[in-house]
Amino acid sequence: MSAPNSLRCLLRPSAAVPRQIAAATWTPSPWIAPFSTTPGAGKAGTTPKKNVPKPKAAAPRGVGMNPTGKKQSMKKFKKAQGAKTAKPPLPGERKAMRKRIQLSNNNALPVEGLAELEPGTMLNPKNIGTMAALPGAMQDNLRSLEAFKATQFWPMFRQPATLIRSETVDLMNRMQSAASKKETLRLVVTGERITGKSLLLLQSMAYGLQNDWVVINIPEAQELTTACTEYAPIPDTDPVQYMQNNYCLKMIQAIRKANASVLSKITTAYSHPELPQNIPINSTLLALANAAKEPESAWVVFQALWKELMRKGAARPPVLFTLDGLPHIMKVSDYRSPAFELIHSQDLALVRLFSDVLSGATSLPNGGAVLAATTRGNAPRSPSMDLALAQREAEQAGTELPKPEPYFKGYDLRSEEVLKTVSVMKLKGLSKVEARGLMEYWAASGIFRATVDEKAVAAKWALSAGVVGEMERVNLLTMHP
Amino acid sequence: MVLILGVNFNEHKLVKKALETFYALGPAKSERILAKYCIHPRAKVGTLPPKTVTALTAELSTMTIENDARKIVQDNIKRLRDIGTYRGRRHAMGLPVRGQRTRNQTETSRRLNRVERRG
Repeated sequence: MSAPNSLRCLLRPSAAVPRQIAAATWTPSPWIAPFSTTPGAGKAGTTPKKNVPKPKAAAPRGVGMNPTGKKQSMKKFKKAQGAKTAKPPLPGERKAMRKRIQLSNNNALPVEGLAELEPGTMLNPKNIGTMAALPGAMQDNLRSLEAFKATQFWPMFRQPATLIRSETVDLMNRMQSAASKKETLRLVVTGERITGKSLLLLQSMAYGLQNDWVVINIPEAQELTTACTEYAPIPDTDPVQYMQNNYCLKMIQAIRKANASVLSKITTAYSHPELPQNIPINSTLLALANAAKEPESAWVVFQALWKELMRKGAARPPVLFTLDGLPHIMKVSDYRSPAFELIHSQDLALVRLFSDVLSGATSLPNGGAVLAATTRGNAPRSPSMDLALAQREAEQAGTELPKPEPYFKGYDLRSEEVLKTVSVMKLKGLSKVEARGLMEYWAASGIFRATVDEKAVAAKWALSAGVVGEMERVNLLTMHP
Repeated sequence: MVLILGVNFNEHKLVKKALETFYALGPAKSERILAKYCIHPRAKVGTLPPKTVTALTAELSTMTIENDARKIVQDNIKRLRDIGTYRGRRHAMGLPVRGQRTRNQTETSRRLNRVERRG
């Protein structure tokens, strides 16, 4: 106890003074014990506690009050001041985020022995139930055609790959035979939700790109008909048709990017005096497509490009024209004519062009295919399309045709006309062989952690009824113990 | 900034909303004007070609909007006051015109009901 004090004696006086003074001036009050366990006892002395003014009241003004002396406003009516977060996203950033397509994931395991897609892969029935990876160069082309959708499961895997199912092989063989016979395959892909309709279109585009077709894609038909892109009447048309220049420009750029290698090999056969710049005969179609630089000239350039592609003769490749979201063009659009009447989708020139090929009114002279996929997720009701497709299915199956309801007025004859002679491919669930191939790929990618055996496949297949999207939900989006 | 009928509009403003800022031009009329010039409903002012902008200005200048429309309303009220109708008197007094109670909540009538009506 005394040791520190004695040591302090050796210190210089100034350092020790304050403490010593404090010790010397402290005189214990005679009425109270020299020590107490209650903190306020020494101060209170004999006076009763009640009369002592509270320290809070004695506090100087301004503590707990604002300097003006006014009462502070109650918190309840104060404007809530949220914590300031990062600055809000710039215009267009949110949409870019929403539409972002991620095609690879370095956390996923590389799948060994995964074959790359080759020109003939999807024609061979032996490949049914196997996965095929999309080659890198083709990924860029498909991306520029907007064949990938943000809702699909690409970000979970090291490399984009697709399942070759029996419908794939069937469709590709039909496309191949149509091209070799210089005929037009006109087909509508339909089916319930998430049965792989858009992915079948993607596969057909992949096939087209690998086999030197010219691939044209309308990724979302609703972009054309929901009145969100610019439109203008085409002069000298009766009935009036409408061009959509901005969309057209975007489409030409996509065509140019995706089919650059094919287009650079074909040369023009017509002179096109109506174009904004002079394209002499025998220049490449790529140069023709490059002429579209302004939205004002986009429709003219597209027409010229289409005319060249439709020229019958040698050295013209087959054309693949695909559209996703068929119900959107099977109805009256949201656009209005100058007379304030709603414009039918079939009066939009781009839609008309597609529908003419789909209905068979114009054929592709060099062969090719025109494919349309229905959509179930965000589709307007189109009773005519439903009826027409049901009728075509019944025709194919050889059963009795479903009849239109006699008192229903919502049918759209112009839409029915388009689907009079198309063939229909209805997608259903996968077979067990295909399901197994898919699950083995998932397991090899490290996403599906259980062993893939007969029992597991049967269980998941039964849970999802074989529907591809449901299988993905069952296997990839749920936690497994 | 784009000038339509002497008013500057931000390029990011919807054309439809820009038109609706004019007095006596509501949703129905603006929709019709858009259709007349083949402007899609989600078009922004900045995307309009100069030709369309001048056409819009010309179209708007032929319509009875802004001060012309306000004048019509003022004239109607003035006529009522001049022939000494109850409605005219109520307008002049800034009180409810159509039989509403006046014990409380007559803010709107006090603001709007006057002979030289502003809006």
